[in-house]
Amino acid sequence: MIEYNICVRCVMDTSDKAIVFDTDGVCDHCRVFDRDIFPVWNNGSGHEQSLKKLVSKIKKAGQGKDFDCILGMSGGIDSSYLLYLVKEELGLRPLVFHVDAGWNSQIAVNNIERLVDGLGVDLYTEVINWEDMKNLQRAYFKSGVPHIDTPQDHSFFATMYKFAADNNVKDIVTGGNYSTECIRNPKEWMYYQSDSIQLRDILKKHGEKPLKSYPITNILWHKIFLPYIKGVNLHRLLDLMPYDKEHATQFLVDNYGYERYPQKHFESRFTRFYESYWLPVKFGYDTRRVQYSSLILTGQMTRDDAIHKLSQPGYDPDTIHHDFEYVASKLDWTVEELMACFNSPNKTYNDYANQESFYNTGAKVLRMFGKELGGKR
Amino acid sequence: MLRPRITPCLLIRNGGLVKTQQFSNDKYVGDPINAVKIFNEKAVDELIIIDIDATRLGSDPNYALIQRLANEARMPICYGGGIKTSAQAEKIIKMGVEKVALSSALFVNPELISELAKALGSQSVVGVLDVKKSLFKGYSIFIENGVKKIPGTLSEWVTTFQDFGIGEILINSIDRDGMQAGYDLELVKGITGFLNVPSTFLGGAGSLSDIKKLIAQRGLGGCAAGSLFVFKGKYRAVLINYPKFAEKIDLIELGLAEYNSNVRK
Amino acid sequence: MIGILDYGVGNIDAFLKIYHSLNMAAIPVRSPSDFDSIDKIILPGVGSFDSAMEKLNNSGLRDTLDEFVINRDLPLLGVCIGMHMLGRSSEEGSMGGLSYISGHTEKMSFIDSNITPLLPHMGWNNIITPRQDPIWKDVNLEQGFYFLHSYCFRVEDSEAIIGLSDYGSRFPCAVKSGEVFGFQFHPEKSLTNGIQLLRNFAEFS
Repeated sequence: MIEYNICVRCVMDTSDKAIVFDTDGVCDHCRVFDRDIFPVWNNGSGHEQSLKKLVSKIKKAGQGKDFDCILGMSGGIDSSYLLYLVKEELGLRPLVFHVDAGWNSQIAVNNIERLVDGLGVDLYTEVINWEDMKNLQRAYFKSGVPHIDTPQDHSFFATMYKFAADNNVKDIVTGGNYSTECIRNPKEWMYYQSDSIQLRDILKKHGEKPLKSYPITNILWHKIFLPYIKGVNLHRLLDLMPYDKEHATQFLVDNYGYERYPQKHFESRFTRFYESYWLPVKFGYDTRRVQYSSLILTGQMTRDDAIHKLSQPGYDPDTIHHDFEYVASKLDWTVEELMACFNSPNKTYNDYANQESFYNTGAKVLRMFGKELGGKR
Repeated sequence: MLRPRITPCLLIRNGGLVKTQQFSNDKYVGDPINAVKIFNEKAVDELIIIDIDATRLGSDPNYALIQRLANEARMPICYGGGIKTSAQAEKIIKMGVEKVALSSALFVNPELISELAKALGSQSVVGVLDVKKSLFKGYSIFIENGVKKIPGTLSEWVTTFQDFGIGEILINSIDRDGMQAGYDLELVKGITGFLNVPSTFLGGAGSLSDIKKLIAQRGLGGCAAGSLFVFKGKYRAVLINYPKFAEKIDLIELGLAEYNSNVRK
Repeated sequence: MIGILDYGVGNIDAFLKIYHSLNMAAIPVRSPSDFDSIDKIILPGVGSFDSAMEKLNNSGLRDTLDEFVINRDLPLLGVCIGMHMLGRSSEEGSMGGLSYISGHTEKMSFIDSNITPLLPHMGWNNIITPRQDPIWKDVNLEQGFYFLHSYCFRVEDSEAIIGLSDYGSRFPCAVKSGEVFGFQFHPEKSLTNGIQLLRNFAEFS
């Protein structure tokens, strides 16, 4: 039984079982940020030249095509603000790529529409077969692992990369950024969504039928084949400039009629339920802790404010049963059946086949080439 | 005063939503429950939900799905597909569906309309006519998802349905389905004189301006659209959309103003 | 606790779901003993007047309903055909109504208008309120409610009219007499306005 401890600088604590504190009481997440991320990222400053060069390169590669890059968009603030920047400030011609996994909230759909219309860009959506998604989600719930948002996340990766490869698009821009995500979810919480061995094993053991058309990717394909063989690159443009989330949100609200979400990831009803209730209550993993810690390190939130927010549940106790009912009924389960999953023993990614060793080796190799900073450990 | 209705139309195949073009080329659009939930929040006037295979395959309506859709919807639903008997219709109405739509069964036995009207009230009985432009003049009616042509003119059948007590007539242009090139206003013009119950036109709406034109052509009634409220842009990206209340009212007012000034001429 | 009279007619589930989403207690009323735990009742109604009255009279609930409304003077809300049933009779049928409010249901007429609108009255229509009533609190009268009917309730006492709608000519779409309310439209299928109205009814005292 580990004694409870919390970082004196951010708010990561021993709910991350792999956390290590130094003699000052500062956690290893913070130290990795100080040592590996900040020196290179530098709050997004000083990258003007690199950004200019990159944008030029993308424009040149895209000449004569209908669009010069793909932008993955969820309706969340990061990808939405990125879209504005890419179109209006950087002068690129993005194709907005959205994956509909069947859980879109009305706010997300509305925000995507406002931005696509307001910026005059083209939209492409990939709709995941709902029977497949339901089958996979049920399997993940039954498996007892914490990373049950994998079916959604995996499909986002898989379809976007596949689209890029099929359409010979070399440049994908994403809203991933250090400013709000410099601290990543511990591996034990979310594992690696792209691990297709794990996905197939969980499906085999808990799925009810084979998948019809659900897109499966694998780590080799999208971390090695695509970038190095097909020359498809992923660009985190928000890292190449100062990015303040509140400023970005207010800007979109004022100029594009963007509607705020009550909390991060509320674009998807499922993710909202999963992160605000299922994960913290069943496993004790509160992703707000990770999000707030990132904001603390990047000066966008005070530790006191984070502690205060974390003292309240991330869900509304008066209405959570409605979400429970909605998720159950959407998955064709009774509330009792979903409850049975909730009450089943907690498992980890190690209870199912996985490629973890591959990720560990791969991460080391990529780090050697300076290709990846920080990340899950 | 009563407003024209602007109604999204959802097509179901194998329990999933699809969109067609001229009744073929179906494209998967996603989970119907989530779509209804989003339409709730977008405050749509009402929803039409059609199972496009049930009649053709001779299968019963998918009651489990209908129940879930009815449970989710906070606005009226009109359901169609596979309904042949009064018992089936009553079962569906009991689930919380406001109107049932029938097509094929009514051409075989128009008396079914009176039977349904007696059991459910005529306001809940909708007669659907899927039409295609004939080679020479007028329109032909098709049943079983656009496969079988039946004899008789559009106006003859509209009149027959009305004689038996239909509550609403829904006219669907197969030619214009999914093409997003505008409603067939000639079709509307030609049949309006024969209608003495509320009607809804479906097929061809590509923009809100098309809806305004339909209102300008015939005033009150239902303006239904599938692709318009489900797709966006040249890649036909699936993104559910619907005008906000203020925008809808403006559209309606402009359309009605034009209609009223045309009527006075 | 609200009761929704389940006599085989009307969309009981829609009302129950709405109250559930508002975290307000509501039950279906299927037997006389169910009346013991409620303090308000909703009478839904679709279809035709005679078939609804017949089903109510044969449900075993008629007497307890009369006692609830007439003797115990507890609130009742009649919706659509449920509103027609509040009167003494309907032109649509031949059976007698509940007679909770003086009035009679007849086919909608348009004698004082120069156009003849088509029946049934189908769709969204706005509400005109001749007088303030707390039942309309936070309701967007311009947005209105969804109507689906060919007959309307002509109440004898004009003071009982708390809402009118206009379709060719004005007709009462909302009435209130004592603790008895009647709405012609469908609050259970009128989006947020309907939900608000049902909330207001639950909070009415």
